[in-house]
Amino acid sequence: MSVAVWIPVATVAASRFPQPQFDSGHTVPQTVHPPFEALVPAWADVLILALALAVTVWLAHRVRSRRWLLVFSLVCLAWFGFIRQGCICPVGAVQNVAVAAWSGGGLPWSVAALFALPLLTALLFGRVFCGAVCPLGALQDLFIITPQRVPRSVDAVLRLVPPAVLAVGLVYAINGAGYLICRTDPFVGLFRRSAPMPMFLTGAAVLLVGMVVARPYCRYFCPYGVLLEWCSRLAWRPFAITAHECINCRLCVGTCPVDAITVPRAAPGDTARRGLFRRFVLMLMLAPLVVAGCVAAGWLLGAQAARAHPSVIVAERLAQTPESEMDLHPEIEAFKRTGRTPEQAAAEAAVTVARFRRGCAWAGAFVGVIMALRLLGMTRLQRRTLHEADRERCIVCGRCFAACPKNVQRSTSNAQLSNQKGDT
Amino acid sequence: MREQEQETTRRDALAWLLRAGAGAVVASFAAKAAQRQTADRTVWQIDPRACIQCGRCETECVLHPSAVKCVHGYAMCGYCKLCFGYFKSDAARLDEAAENQICPTGAISRVFIEDPYFEYHIDESLCTGCGLCVKGCTHFGNGSLYLQIRHDRCTNCNACRIAEKCPAQAISRVPASRPYLLKESL
Repeated sequence: MSVAVWIPVATVAASRFPQPQFDSGHTVPQTVHPPFEALVPAWADVLILALALAVTVWLAHRVRSRRWLLVFSLVCLAWFGFIRQGCICPVGAVQNVAVAAWSGGGLPWSVAALFALPLLTALLFGRVFCGAVCPLGALQDLFIITPQRVPRSVDAVLRLVPPAVLAVGLVYAINGAGYLICRTDPFVGLFRRSAPMPMFLTGAAVLLVGMVVARPYCRYFCPYGVLLEWCSRLAWRPFAITAHECINCRLCVGTCPVDAITVPRAAPGDTARRGLFRRFVLMLMLAPLVVAGCVAAGWLLGAQAARAHPSVIVAERLAQTPESEMDLHPEIEAFKRTGRTPEQAAAEAAVTVARFRRGCAWAGAFVGVIMALRLLGMTRLQRRTLHEADRERCIVCGRCFAACPKNVQRSTSNAQLSNQKGDT
Repeated sequence: MREQEQETTRRDALAWLLRAGAGAVVASFAAKAAQRQTADRTVWQIDPRACIQCGRCETECVLHPSAVKCVHGYAMCGYCKLCFGYFKSDAARLDEAAENQICPTGAISRVFIEDPYFEYHIDESLCTGCGLCVKGCTHFGNGSLYLQIRHDRCTNCNACRIAEKCPAQAISRVPASRPYLLKESL
C-alpha cells in the first residue's frame, strides 16, 4: 500500500466513486502528456523571415534573375508553407496585431515583428514579400500558365475586395468572432496536407483559376496586400524592370502576368484636359455619395456579419428552436449550463449586433474612401514617358527581366552588344 | 538647371518624410500591440470543466484524425467495473465484446486489477476525440476521462477551427510552458 499516491487523490473529494484502496498494492499510473515543442524558437522564425526578405531584395534588385527568384520562392514555399505549415504568417498576423492594439491583450513580440517586417521592406524596396517569400504567392505563381488580361472594369471592381476583406476581417477579430482572414486562407489545408474537403476544393479552385488569371488570391483577395500596396507606393527603391535606361521597346509589356507594367502616355491635350476636369468635378461630387453608400451597406450587412459571433449564434438558436428540440443543440446545452436566461442572451446578442453594425459601417467607410480616391485618381492628368512597373500592382516575380533587351545586353559579350545596338 | 536639382531634392526629402512617417506608423502599431507582450508562446487547449462533449472536436479539427484525444486522469478514476465510459448504456452484456463498448474505434481497453476493479487505458493512436466515453464518464462516473488537445499532433493554427465551432467556448490559448488543463490538477 503506497500512501504517497493517495495524497493528491484525496483532494478529488467530489468524485462519485472514491478510488479504491488496492489490496494487491497496485499503483495508479500517470498519463504522459506530450509537451509543446516548437520546431524553431520564435526569434529564429523572425530571423528566417528577415533573411528571406533580404535574399529576395538582393535577387530582385541586384541579381535581377527570374530563375533565381523562382528557385528561392520554392525554398520559401517549402519552409514557410510545407514545413512551418503556413501558420507563422504575416497575412494572418494582421489580426493578432489589431486585436492586441485594440483590446490591449498580450502579443508575442515575434508576431508583431512578423507583421511589420514585410511592410517595412515594402517601404524600401516594394512588394518583395509577395515576390518570393510568401508561400501563398509562390504556390500560385507556379500555376500561372496562360495569364489573360483582366478587363479594366472587372479589375477595378475586384480590387475593392481586398480592402473589404481587411476591414471586415478586423471587425470580426476585434469583436471576437474568430479570424476571418485565416478562415479564408485557401492553401493552408494544402500546406498541412490535411483539411476538410471544402477547404481543399477552394484551394484547388483558386489554383485552377490562377492558370488564366495570374495570382487571383494575391490580387483580388489578400488583405495584407492592401497594406503592402500602400507601403510599396512610397518605396525608396521600387522594383525596376531594367537597371538601365528604358528605351520604350515595349517588349516587356506582354510578359507581366498581373498587368502591372504602365506604358508611356502623352500629356492630355486641351480638350482632354477640360474633359478630365469635368470628370474630376463630377467625381468630387460623387465621392460623398459613394462613401455614404458604402457606410449604409456596411450598416445593413453588419447584422449578417454578426451571425458569426457566438453570442448571436446562441440567441438565434434559442429563438428558433422549438421546445421539443431544445436538447438536440449543443449551443443550447452549453447555454443552459451558464445559468443565464434567454432574455439575457437576447440582450447580449443585440449589443453584439449593434457593435458589428458600427464596425461594419466603419469598414464600409474605409472601402468607400478607397473607392472614391480611386475614382478621383482616374481623372488625374497623367504623363508617362517610360515603361515602368506599377508600384502597387507589381508583385516582383521578375518575369519582365528577360524580355528587356537592355537587361540581356548586360550579360552578353561586347561584340553582340554592338550588333544589337545596330539593330535598334 | 540648379533650380531643377533643388526641386528634386525637395521632392526626395518629402518622399523620405512620407516614408519615415509610414514606417513610424507600422512600427508604432506593432510596438503598441506588443507592448503588453506575453512572455511565452501560447497554444490551444480545452478547458475540461467547460466541455460539453458535443463531438465537434472530432469533426471540425483541420487534422484527420483530430488533434483532440481523450485522456485518462487515473488519479480521479473509480476503477468501476461498470464503467459508463467503457460500456454503452444499453449494453446487452458487460464484457469486452465490441458491440457492448461505447468507443466506436475500440480505443479503450481494460485490465482486471482485483475484484471488482478494472483499470482503463486509452490507445491514443485509435482515439478520434469523439467524446462519447467522456460524456458517459462525466455524466455517470467520476469524470476522469476528458478531452485534451495533444501537442504532439496540434499544428497550433492561428485560428483554431474547433475553438471557433465549440458551442461552449471551452477552447482558448494557454501558455506553451503549461500546455494542458488537466482535470486532476485544476
